[in-house]
Amino acid sequence: MTANTPFIEALRRIEVPGWLASERGAALDRFLATGMPSARLEDWKHTSLAALERRVWHSSTSVAGEAVCPDIASYPGHALVFQNGQLHCHGIYLANQIAGTLLDLANTQAVHQYLGQVADDTALANLNLALWQDGAHVYVPAGDHITLPIFTLFGAAEAEAMLYPRTLAVLEHGAEAILVEHFLGQTGQPYWQNAVTEIVLEDGAHLTHLKVIEEGAAATHTSLTAVRLGRDSEYRALHIGLDGALARHEIRVHMAGPGATTRIDAFDLADGHRHADLHLRINHRAPSGTSRVTYRGLAKGRGRAVFDGHVVVDRAAPKIDARQSCRGLLLSPQAEIDAMPRLEIYADDVKCGHGASIGNLDREALFYLQSRGIDLALARQLLMQGFANEALGLLDHTHLRNWLMPRLIAAMARRTLMEPTP
Amino acid sequence: MLEIKDLHVSVDDKAILKGIDLTVKPGEIHAIMGPNGSGKSTLAQVLAGREGYRVTQGSLRYLDSDLPPFSPEARARAGIFLAFQYPIEIPGVANAQFLRSALNSQRGYRGEPELDAFDFLEFVKGRLAMLEIDDSFLYRSLNEGFSGGEKKRNEILQMAVLEPRLAILDETDSGLDIDALKVVARGVNALRAPDRAIILVTHYQRLLEYIVPDRVHVLAEGRIVRSGDRDLALELEAKGYGWLNLRNNCEEPFIP
Repeated sequence: MTANTPFIEALRRIEVPGWLASERGAALDRFLATGMPSARLEDWKHTSLAALERRVWHSSTSVAGEAVCPDIASYPGHALVFQNGQLHCHGIYLANQIAGTLLDLANTQAVHQYLGQVADDTALANLNLALWQDGAHVYVPAGDHITLPIFTLFGAAEAEAMLYPRTLAVLEHGAEAILVEHFLGQTGQPYWQNAVTEIVLEDGAHLTHLKVIEEGAAATHTSLTAVRLGRDSEYRALHIGLDGALARHEIRVHMAGPGATTRIDAFDLADGHRHADLHLRINHRAPSGTSRVTYRGLAKGRGRAVFDGHVVVDRAAPKIDARQSCRGLLLSPQAEIDAMPRLEIYADDVKCGHGASIGNLDREALFYLQSRGIDLALARQLLMQGFANEALGLLDHTHLRNWLMPRLIAAMARRTLMEPTP
Repeated sequence: MLEIKDLHVSVDDKAILKGIDLTVKPGEIHAIMGPNGSGKSTLAQVLAGREGYRVTQGSLRYLDSDLPPFSPEARARAGIFLAFQYPIEIPGVANAQFLRSALNSQRGYRGEPELDAFDFLEFVKGRLAMLEIDDSFLYRSLNEGFSGGEKKRNEILQMAVLEPRLAILDETDSGLDIDALKVVARGVNALRAPDRAIILVTHYQRLLEYIVPDRVHVLAEGRIVRSGDRDLALELEAKGYGWLNLRNNCEEPFIP
């Protein structure tokens, strides 16, 4: 058995829709040709998947195992729940044409047209394309405004399972929606979710996209979000990384239409031994686009947060306004934050800028809070929340603050063995 | 309520306070005046328990306990409040969340039930109305982007919410326009009660037109060089600190 055997086995066992079979095979071949991303690649310098390669993974066969998803009713919107890669339950009040599973909607035109077409040709995206079993498809017809959030939950409850959640969201001309992807799993079980989300925004479409990573503490999460923006469309994303032994999320935004807007806010928490990596690549390919990135990374214990914010402005994309703000909060001497805001500009007449800073909790601020009777532990928590809050503005736009904050606060208050009591 | 005897305080091994004696009784308002660098703010900070302010000699007693061993939050829960000369900006923490955390921390310590969001809002809105401060204050990040005057009003709002037994206002009046000054005065006068005491640290006499102190002390070069009643403040205003003959007299301090 070679390192590749589990992947070849997994593909053999998938009952594929006919039109995809050849694509799956080709994608697997591309993956096998490159292998897993190695630390020798510039893009993977700070995140090693070596631990993944030491395990023997198998693809999951059933939705068996204890349900990992919380009560579906606690999600304030439509919800599709996947467990171990397959549909587990759903609370969808929308017509099937708007949200359903990729398998059910495999024969729709949007799936045929876009599936596998937006995601970049990366090793892990190829692996997902070869091995995905099911996923979500959101399709909002021209002009439709879906106001309730559409939640997709990807839960894992099987040790040594490798899962390939896949999502395709297509918003036609002027359509609007809120998509919330929530990744979670059983604590203590090593599993690997390798997700791909493809998003197509036609001219004038608006999508707000939350991605919440709350994987089990022994889990690995790797994912790619690939977005293609049409003229005057808007992509607003909020990435929140709270749990999982290793989580790496890549967001690749192709600003293909003129006048498009991208806003990416992100908060990553790296505590204990957690490794949280967010890689952004925003490619301005058309004129008059705007992009805004706000990253806040918090590292404590022996945690490590990696942020790579790469903005590329093509020659054909003048009048671009691109800005990044990136701040890190480093709460222990063993923790580490690597922040790399990068601008690559080939066009003239652009406004670009970035700022980065890394620091500790402000002692003056702690004293100020303490002098009002707030004990040191709560004062620290308030300051950490305040720090995270700078990247959480989209919660108010989506009315999801009440849904998310308890999770975020619990994660920040979590104390691991690595961490001395303050 | 507060009894300070021969208090010496060093910051970074530099002696700042060099023998302060001060007794404040419940119900009293004391004003501490003095030129810049005289140690006024150090006295305020050491009462609040700021790190790095070391008592090297003398005693500092509050409600019959020695203060120095207590943490800043323990002092606050025991009723000490310091209105900061330069309030800290804390982005991302809403004023309302901060005030409620502070109030509930203190209530919890006193064994009183915590106020839920609704009851807290009722309570704090009453305080805002009393001080004539706009409700929008609650929803802004704590002091972030506040003007100097707004920050000082916010200190007074905190004082009104926390209802301390001993409030120390560290130059809360400096740089304020007349309206903001009135907010400060309203806050202090509303707090005034037989079982509470207030210390106003100030550079100018102006605030004392709105708040009548029981005692006025002049601090210079780490010592109280003169004490008196309200008239002392007026005299200082008229004659300036130079009148106290404080120049270059480190060797032989002025003894009142």
